[in-house]
Amino acid sequence: MKNFWKYFDKLTFIVLITTTVFGIFLIYSASYTTDTSYFNKQIAWFAISLICFFLVFKIKTETLFRWRLTIFIVLLACLSILLLAGIITSGVRSWFRIGFMSIQFSEFIKIPLALIIAKIMAKNRLITLKPFLKIILAIAIPFGMIMLQPDLGTAFILTAFFMVLVFLKRIKFSILLVTILLMIGGSFLAWNYILKPYQKNRIISFMNPEKYSRSTGYQSIQSKIAIGSGGLVGKGYLKGSQSQYKFLPTRHTDFVVAVLGEELGFTGISFLFFLFFILFYRQFNIRTQTDEEFYFVYLFNGLILFQFSINVLMSIGLLPILGIPLPFVSYGGSSLLAFFIGEAIIFKIKINAYINEF
Amino acid sequence: MYTDKKILSQKKTKIIAIMTNIMVILLFTFLLFNFWDIQIIKHHHFKLLSQKNIFREIEIKAPRGIIVDRNQTILAENKLDFSLFIFKENIKNLQETIEKAHLITGLDQQSIKNRMGKYEHSRASIRILLKKNLSLKEVVYIQSRALEFLEFEIEIEPTRTYPFQQHASHILGYVSEISSMELKLNENQNYKPGDEIGKSGIEKQYEHFIRGKKGTQVVIKDSFGRIQKQVSEKKPEIGSKIILTIDIELQKYIEDILKPHKGCIGVVELPSGEILSLVSKPNFNPEKFTTLIETKDWNTLINDPEKPLHNKFTQGLYSPGSVFKIVMALGGLQEKIITHSTRTFCSGSTWIYNRTFHCWTSFGHGLMNLTDALKNSCNIYFYTLGKKMDINTIDKYARLLGLGKKTRIGLPNEKSGLVPSPAWKASQLNQKWFPGETISVSIGGGLLNVTPAQILQLISTVALKGNLPQLHLIRGIENRGKIIGKFQPRFNKIPVEKKYFDAVIRGLFKVVNDNGTGRAAAVPGLDICGKTGTQQIISKENPDYRRLRKLKRFTPHSWFASFAPRNNPRYAVVVFVEHGGDAGEVAAPIAARIYKKLFQP
Repeated sequence: MKNFWKYFDKLTFIVLITTTVFGIFLIYSASYTTDTSYFNKQIAWFAISLICFFLVFKIKTETLFRWRLTIFIVLLACLSILLLAGIITSGVRSWFRIGFMSIQFSEFIKIPLALIIAKIMAKNRLITLKPFLKIILAIAIPFGMIMLQPDLGTAFILTAFFMVLVFLKRIKFSILLVTILLMIGGSFLAWNYILKPYQKNRIISFMNPEKYSRSTGYQSIQSKIAIGSGGLVGKGYLKGSQSQYKFLPTRHTDFVVAVLGEELGFTGISFLFFLFFILFYRQFNIRTQTDEEFYFVYLFNGLILFQFSINVLMSIGLLPILGIPLPFVSYGGSSLLAFFIGEAIIFKIKINAYINEF
Repeated sequence: MYTDKKILSQKKTKIIAIMTNIMVILLFTFLLFNFWDIQIIKHHHFKLLSQKNIFREIEIKAPRGIIVDRNQTILAENKLDFSLFIFKENIKNLQETIEKAHLITGLDQQSIKNRMGKYEHSRASIRILLKKNLSLKEVVYIQSRALEFLEFEIEIEPTRTYPFQQHASHILGYVSEISSMELKLNENQNYKPGDEIGKSGIEKQYEHFIRGKKGTQVVIKDSFGRIQKQVSEKKPEIGSKIILTIDIELQKYIEDILKPHKGCIGVVELPSGEILSLVSKPNFNPEKFTTLIETKDWNTLINDPEKPLHNKFTQGLYSPGSVFKIVMALGGLQEKIITHSTRTFCSGSTWIYNRTFHCWTSFGHGLMNLTDALKNSCNIYFYTLGKKMDINTIDKYARLLGLGKKTRIGLPNEKSGLVPSPAWKASQLNQKWFPGETISVSIGGGLLNVTPAQILQLISTVALKGNLPQLHLIRGIENRGKIIGKFQPRFNKIPVEKKYFDAVIRGLFKVVNDNGTGRAAAVPGLDICGKTGTQQIISKENPDYRRLRKLKRFTPHSWFASFAPRNNPRYAVVVFVEHGGDAGEVAAPIAARIYKKLFQP
C-alpha cells in the first residue's frame, strides 16, 4: 500500500479535480439564471465519480480485461432496452432515470470498447482482415445503436478509436484502401438517407454561418462573438452578456468554452488549455507492463483528445456543431463518471508498471 | 497472466510518445493561435457585435402640445393609453405572429399583414405600433401570456384627445400616423414610420411647435427579445402650447345654428382680426383618426360624399354672387366712374353686348342710385357699372381687396380662389375673353370664385374703412410657460378713399335696416351692416329653371357678409349656406342670431 501511494500520479489527479471544479463553476455561470439544478447535479455526480474512481482502483486490470466482453454486452443490452422502449412509446430516450439523476448508458460503452480493441491490437502484430473486421464490428454495433437514439455526437466520438488504430498499428494497405472507399460511400448514404434535416442544416450552415446567422449558423456565430468579446481578461465571472442574456445556446454543455472565453477571456482559456496539456502530457508519456494496457491508454486518452479538440474547434466555428461536450468540464454526469472510470484504469496501469519492477 | 508476447519494444513506445507529444503541442499551438486571433486581435469587432446583441435604443413618444381657446379652455390634449407594439426582431414566424395579433386584438388578419408589410424594409430592432386604446381585458390577456407572446409589448403612451369631440374640428384638424410621403417630405426631422403627425388644421400648420421632442431609452434585451433592464433614459419633452383666438362656447353655439345646413360661418373680432369662430359643416370627429386601423370609421370619413374633412371656409371655392357688388362699388367710386348719386334705371332687364341680362326681379327696381342699388342688390345698376369699368379695372380692385390670393389665416391647404382676367384666360385656357363675361363678373358670377375666408376679409376691410386686417387663428405659442410667439394685429392699407367706404357702408346699412334684401338680419338696437348674395347654380334662361330650382343640388347658395356696429365695428360675420336658397331668408337670419349672442350683455 505504501508503494501504491508512492506511484499514484498526484499531479494528474489534482489536474483532473481542478478541471472538474473549474467546469462546475462554469456550469453555475451558464445556468444559474435558468435552472440551478444543473450545478447541484454536477456536484453530486462529481462526488459519485470520485467514489467510483477509487472503487475501480480496487479492481485488477487483468480482471477488467477478462470481463470486457461481458461488460460490453450488458451495456449493449441496456441500450437495446432503451431503444425498444423508445420505439414502443414512440419517444426515443437515451437515458434511464434513477431518482433525480438520469444515466446515459451510451457514455459508458467507450470503456469496454477500448478494452476490447486494445486486446485485439495487442494480439496482432499486423492487422489483417479478421482482426480488422472484429474491431470495425465492435465499433459499429454501439455506433449504430447510438445513432438510432439519435445521438450523432456521442456516436461520432467512437470513431476516435479507429483513428488511434490507424495511428498505432500497421494495417494491410488493401484493407485501408477499401475502408476509405467504404467510408466515402457510407457518408454519401448517410447524407441522403440517415441524417435528419436538422443535422444536415448544421453541416450546411457550418460552411457559411453568416448566411444562416438567424437560424442554424446563429449558434456558431454567437459562440464566436462570446469568445471574441471576452478579450484578454474577460467580462468577469457571471458578467458575460452573451451567456447571461442567453445568446449562447446549450451553454452548460456544448458551448461551455464560450462561457469561459467570454467571462474569463484569453486568460481563462489559457488556464484551461494548460490543465488539458498537463493531462495529455502526463497520460501519454507512460510506461506499461503489457501491450494491451499501452493500447488502452492510447485509445482512451486519444478519445479524450479527440473530443476536446472537436468541442473547442466547434466553439470557434472551425467545425460544425455536433453536440459534443468538453470532457470533465461540460455538464453531464454519465460522461464525467465514464471519464473518471477510464482515468482510474489508466492511473492503475501506471502504478502496475512500477510495482512490477520492484 | 503474461500469455501475450510483448510486441512493442521500449524504443517503439518512446517513438509513439514523442510523435504524440508533437501532435499535442501542434494542436495546442494551433488552438492558442486561433483564440489569440479572436480574443485579442479581433476583440473590438466581437465586442461591438456583443453590444449590438443586447443594447436597444427605444424611442419614447413625446406628448403633443396642448391647444387652448382664448379663455384657456382645453381643445386638444393627451391622455395615457395602452398601446400594443410588435418587436420586429422577435418575430419567429410572421404568419404565426399575425394569427396571434388577430387573436389578441380582433383586427382582421389582412389589415395586420398590410401594417407589417409597411415595415418590411425597416431595421430589425424597430417596434411596430399595432393597436392603441387597448382595453383592460386585452392588456391582461397579453400580460398573462408574456412568454408565449414574446414579440408583443404593451407600452403606456400619450394619445391625442379632443374634449369637445367634433366641435372646432376644422380648426384643430387631426393627427394620424405619418405616411411614407410625409416621411420623405420631412426628411432629417427625426420622423420614423409609426410616428404621429398633424394631418390638417392647426395640428398640421403648427406641427413643428406641437410635436415636442422624443425621448430615448436604452435597454438590455436577452436573446428572446425580452427587456431585462433599463440602462439610461432621456425623457421626452412635451410640445408647445398653442393659444387660439377661438371662443369655444361661441363656436359650439354657431355649430348648433348651422346644424341643419351645409356651409360655413366665420366670425372675426375687429379690429384685431382674431377669428372667434370658424365653422364648416359637415364636420368630423378628429379622435376617429388617432386609433390606428379602424378602417371602417376611417373609410366612412374619407369616402363620405359630403366631404366632412373639407374645410369649406378656407378650401371651398364659390362664386361670391351679389356680395361682389361691394368690390364693384368701391372700384367705380375710386376710379370716379360713378359718384354716390349716379343713377341707373332698372326695368328688370337690359340689353348689353347683343344679349339680354336680367335683374333678379322681373318687375324692375326703377331709378337707382348707389345706396339703393346696394340695398336692393340691383343687378342692372352693376351691369352698367361693369360695362363702364371694364374687366381689367374690376380685376384690379378685386385683387386690392384680397380676392384671388390666400388670406394666410393660418390653416393648411388654403385655396386662393380665382379673379379672372383676359390675360389669365388667354394663358390658362387659351381662350379669348368675351365682353359678356365682364357683365357676369360684375355681379359676382362667371369664372370668378372666392373662399368664404376672403369674403370675411373683404367685409372686415369695409368695416375698417380701407384697413385690410390679417385674419388669424392663434394668439400665441407657449413653451413650458414661456411665450415664444405672439401675434400682433397687422393691417394692409387699401388705396381707396375713406369717403367711398362711407358711401358703400351707407348702402350696406340700408340692406339690413331699411327694408333691404338683408332685413332678416336686423337686430333691434344694433347697427348691423351687410350684403346678401344669392348665387344661382343654373341660369334663369334654362327652360326648366322653375322645376330644377326645387331640387336641392340646383338650389342657389346663400351668402351674407356683415359687420356691426356701423361705427367702431367690433365684429364681422360671414354666413355661407350651400344650396341654402334665398340669402335674405336663409343666411341673414343666421347672422342675426349670431349678433344677438355676440352682443349679449
